Amino acid sequence: MDLPLLVGIFPQVFLDGLILGFMYALIALGYTMVYGVLEFINFAHSEIFIVGAFVGVEILLGMRAAGWLEALPWPLVLLLILVAGMAGAGLLAVSVERIAYRPLRGAPRLIPLISAIGVSFFLQDLIRLVESIWRNAFNLVYPTMDALNHRFELTETIDVSVKSLVVIAAALAMLWALHALVNRTKIGTAIRAVAEDQAAASLMGIDVNRIISLTFLIGGAMGGAAGVLFGVQYGLINPYSGFIPGLKAFTAAVLGGIGNIPGAMIGGVVLGLLEAFAASYLSLLTGGAFGAEYKDIFAFSVLILILIFRPKGLLGEIVRERA
Amino acid sequence: MSALFEARGITKRFGGLTALHAVDFALDAGIASIIGPNGAGKTTLFNVFTGLYRAEEGGVTFRGQPLLGLRPDQITALGICRTFQNIRLFGNMTAIENVLVGMHARVRLGLRDVLARGPRFHASEGALMARASALLERVGLLPQANEVARNLPYGDQRRLELARALASEPALLLLDEPTAGMTRGEAGALMGLLRALVADLGLAVVLIEHNMRVVMGVSDRVTVLDHGEKISEGAPHEVQADPRVIEAYLGTRHSGAPRRRLAER
Amino acid sequence: MIQAALATGLVGLSAWAVATFPRSVVVFLLFQGSLLFVYLARIPRWLRTALLALALLVLMPVLGHFNGYYLEIATQVGIFVALALGLNIVVGLAGLLDLGYVAFFAVGAYSWAIFGSPHANIMFGGGFPLAPGWFYAFLLVGLLLGAGTGVLLGLPVLRLRGDYLAIVTLGFGEVIRVLANNLDKPVNITNGPKGITPISRPPVPFDVPYAEAFYFLVLLIVVVVVLVNRRLEDSHVGRAWEAIREDELAAQAMGVPLVRSKLLAFGCGASFAGIMGVVFSAKQVFINPESFTFLESIGVLAMVILGGMGSIPGAVVGATVVTVLNLQVLKGFSLWLNELKNAGVVVLGYNLADLPTQLEPAKYERMIFGAILVLMMIFRPQGILPVRRRARELGTP
Repeated sequence: MDLPLLVGIFPQVFLDGLILGFMYALIALGYTMVYGVLEFINFAHSEIFIVGAFVGVEILLGMRAAGWLEALPWPLVLLLILVAGMAGAGLLAVSVERIAYRPLRGAPRLIPLISAIGVSFFLQDLIRLVESIWRNAFNLVYPTMDALNHRFELTETIDVSVKSLVVIAAALAMLWALHALVNRTKIGTAIRAVAEDQAAASLMGIDVNRIISLTFLIGGAMGGAAGVLFGVQYGLINPYSGFIPGLKAFTAAVLGGIGNIPGAMIGGVVLGLLEAFAASYLSLLTGGAFGAEYKDIFAFSVLILILIFRPKGLLGEIVRERA
Repeated sequence: MSALFEARGITKRFGGLTALHAVDFALDAGIASIIGPNGAGKTTLFNVFTGLYRAEEGGVTFRGQPLLGLRPDQITALGICRTFQNIRLFGNMTAIENVLVGMHARVRLGLRDVLARGPRFHASEGALMARASALLERVGLLPQANEVARNLPYGDQRRLELARALASEPALLLLDEPTAGMTRGEAGALMGLLRALVADLGLAVVLIEHNMRVVMGVSDRVTVLDHGEKISEGAPHEVQADPRVIEAYLGTRHSGAPRRRLAER
Repeated sequence: MIQAALATGLVGLSAWAVATFPRSVVVFLLFQGSLLFVYLARIPRWLRTALLALALLVLMPVLGHFNGYYLEIATQVGIFVALALGLNIVVGLAGLLDLGYVAFFAVGAYSWAIFGSPHANIMFGGGFPLAPGWFYAFLLVGLLLGAGTGVLLGLPVLRLRGDYLAIVTLGFGEVIRVLANNLDKPVNITNGPKGITPISRPPVPFDVPYAEAFYFLVLLIVVVVVLVNRRLEDSHVGRAWEAIREDELAAQAMGVPLVRSKLLAFGCGASFAGIMGVVFSAKQVFINPESFTFLESIGVLAMVILGGMGSIPGAVVGATVVTVLNLQVLKGFSLWLNELKNAGVVVLGYNLADLPTQLEPAKYERMIFGAILVLMMIFRPQGILPVRRRARELGTP
C-alpha cells in the first residue's frame, strides 16, 4: 500500500467531497422541506433539479450564440443562470404539486408517492422530447467560461479551480439564506406551523395551500440552483442524470433526519465526503478489486443501514405526529 | 391463585412526559371499567396491555404468563383482543372478511394446505365461515355480511369491530369507548349484548368509557385514572362517592373553573 | 346467449383477421381484446374456459407458426403477466411498494445464465455449460433463489414505514444492477456490461419449434402463477395481506404477525420473478444488466397500477396493454413516422423530413409509464379492472 499517496490525495478528495456534499445538501432541502410539511417523498424532485440544469445550459448556449458570453462579466452570467434555474425549477415544482399531488391529498400514502414516481418518469422523457425537437440533442454540454476554469495550485498535488470555489460559495450563501428565511421570517414561521399541525395552522388563519405551494417553490428553487451548479461543475447533463443524485440527496435527507433542515445540510455534506472517499480510496485499498463504480452501492448501503439502525437520522426527524 | 389478568406498576413515558405512573390493575372475571378525564392515560394503558407500547417499568401477566415484550399478534393469540377508540376496520374489505381476519390467530393451516386446497382447507374455511356468520348474527350484522366495511353506518361499524375482536376467541376483551357517538338507545342495546356475551362466553371485559350512565350500569368494578395515576378503584357507587374522583372531574375549589362534569357529557 | 355468440364470433373473427393481415398491429390488438371480452362476458363457465383454451392453446400457436413476431410478443406478454402477478401480491394485496422488483428477475436470470453457459468455467474450471436438461431443475432454483433473496432483503427492511420501504427496495434494485455491471472482477461472476452468452436452451419434446415451446412453457407458468395467486388470495393468508394493506396496526392487534406475513408476500412475489428470470435468460440466449434496470421495475409497477391493484385479471390486462404499447404501438409509430419522413410528406406546410433525427418515439417508454402512473392515480386509482369484492356464501350459523 502506498501510504504517501493515500495521504497526499487526502485534501483533494476532501475538497471534491465537500463540493459534492453541498450539491447533495441543496437538493436534499427540497426533499426534506416537502417531507416535513406533507410527509411525502417528492420523487420528482430529482427531475426538478435537472430542469434547473437545463434552464442554465439553454441560457448559456443562447448567450454564446449571441456572442454575449464573452462580452458580459462572468459573475453576472453566473448570477443570471442561477436565478433563471431557480425560477424555472421552482415554478415547475409548484405546477407539479398543483397538478399531480394536490388532488391526492388525504389519499393513502402510497397513492401520491406512485403519482410522484410517474411525474419523475414523465418529466425525464419530456425534457428529452423538448430538447430533441429544439436542439436535436439531449446530451448537452455546459459552455465553458475561461475565468471559471482557472486553477490555483495550492501544492504540487492539490489544486482548486475557481468554479469549485464559486460552487461552494454559492451553496453556502443559499443554505444561509434558506436558514434565515425559515427561522427569521413570518413565512418561515408559517411553514413550520403547517409542518407541525395543518389543521391548527389553518385555524390560525394560515392559508395552508399557499404555504404548501411556497414550500414546493422554495425546495424546487434550491434544487434548481443545485442543478445549475451541477452543470457548471461537471459540464455534461442529460435528462436522466438527475435521478441518481436525487436518490443520493434523499439519502442525505434521511441521514440528517428527514424534515430537519440543518439535518439535510449536514447529511448532504457527510454523504458527499463519504462518497468521495469511497470513490478514491476503495480501489487503492482493495488493490483495484473494487473500484469507484461501487460508490453508488456505498451510498445506498448507507441509506439502508441508517434506516435500519437509526431511522430518525443523525439530528432526528421532524415530522408531524399522526394519531 | 393469581388473577386472570394482572398488571403491576406500569410506567410509560413519552420523552419527558409520564403518561402512566405505577398503575396496578387486575381482573378475574366480569366487566371492569376504566374512567378518567381526557389524557388521563386510559388508551395508553390499553396499548401497553396489547403490546403496541412497551412500558418502561412494571409487568403484565395473563393466566400467569408475562406479556411484556410480546408482540401484539402474540398477545392476541394468547386470548386478549381489543377494539379502537377511533374505529379501525379494514375499510375496503367486507364485514365478514373483517371478522375472518379476526380469526387469523386460530387458523391452523400451513402454506401447503392453502396451495393444495385439499379437504383440510375446505373444512377449515367452512368452519371459519360458519363461525363468522354466527358472530355477525350475534351483533345483528348478518344481513350486511357482504357490505364493504367503510360503507356501513357508524353504529354498525362499532358493532362490527366488536364482532371482529370476538372472532379471535379472546378470554379478555378490551373495549375502547365502544359507545362513543351512539345514541342512548344504541348504547343501551350494545351494553345488553355485552352482558349477554359475558354470561354466555365467560368473557372478562375491560371497558374505557366516558358515558357514565353506561359505566355505572354495566360495570362490576371501576378504576379511575387521572394524569397517568390510579386515583380510585372499587364498586361503581364507591368510586362515585370518592372525593378524589370528584376532585379530578370537577377540579378543586381553589383551581377555578370546573374541569369536567361527572355526569354524561 | 347473445354474449356467448358474440364472444365466440369475436374470437373467430379476430383470429381470421390476424391470419389475413399479418402486419397489422390493430388487428392483433383486436385478437387480444377478444380474449378480454371472453373473460368478462356473462357466458357459461365451460364456454369461457373452452374459448380461452382454444385461443391460447390452438389459435395463438398456429397463428404464431406463420407469424413468429406475434408469437414473440405473446411470449413476452406472458413473461410480464407473471411478473405483474408477482408484484401484484406485494403491492396490490399487501400494500408494500417494491420499486426494485426486477432485481429478483435478475437473480433468476443470472442463475441459469451463469451455469447454463460456458461462463461458469471461469469460476469452476470446467464442465460447463450444464446439460440443457438442467434448465428444468433451474426453474426450481430460480424460484428458490428469488424467494430467498426476497426474504433476505425483507428481513431487515419490512419494519420500515411504507415510503421508506419503497426507496430502500429501489436502492436494492440499483445495488443488484451495479453488481451485475461490475462483478466481472475480482472474480468474473457476471461478465459485467458485456453480459453472458450463449445460454443453453432447454431440450424440447416432440421437436416442437423453440418459439412455440417457449410460448407453451410461459403459458404453463402463467397458469400456475394465476392458480397460486388465486388460492393465496382467497385464504387466511390473502386476507391477512389485505388487512395489513388496510391498517397495519389493527391487523397486528387482530393477531396477524406482521413481519412473517410481509415476508411471505415478498417471498411469493420474488419467487415468480425468479422463475421467469430463468425462462427469460434461456429464451434470450444472451443477457446483460440492461434488461434489469429501474425502468423495468417501474414498467411492471405501471402494469399492476393500470390493471388495478390487487386484481388478478387486472394484472393480466395491465401487463398485456403495457407490453403491447411498448413493443407494438411505440415502435409502430416510430416506423410509421420514419416512413413519412423518408417520403418527405408535408403536413400543414411542415415537411416531415425536417423532423429532428434524435426524435425516436420508440424510446419514450418512460413517458408512457409516467403518464399511466399519474393519470391512474388521479382519475382511477382502482385501475381499469378493479377488484370485485366477492359476495361470500355465508356459513350456516
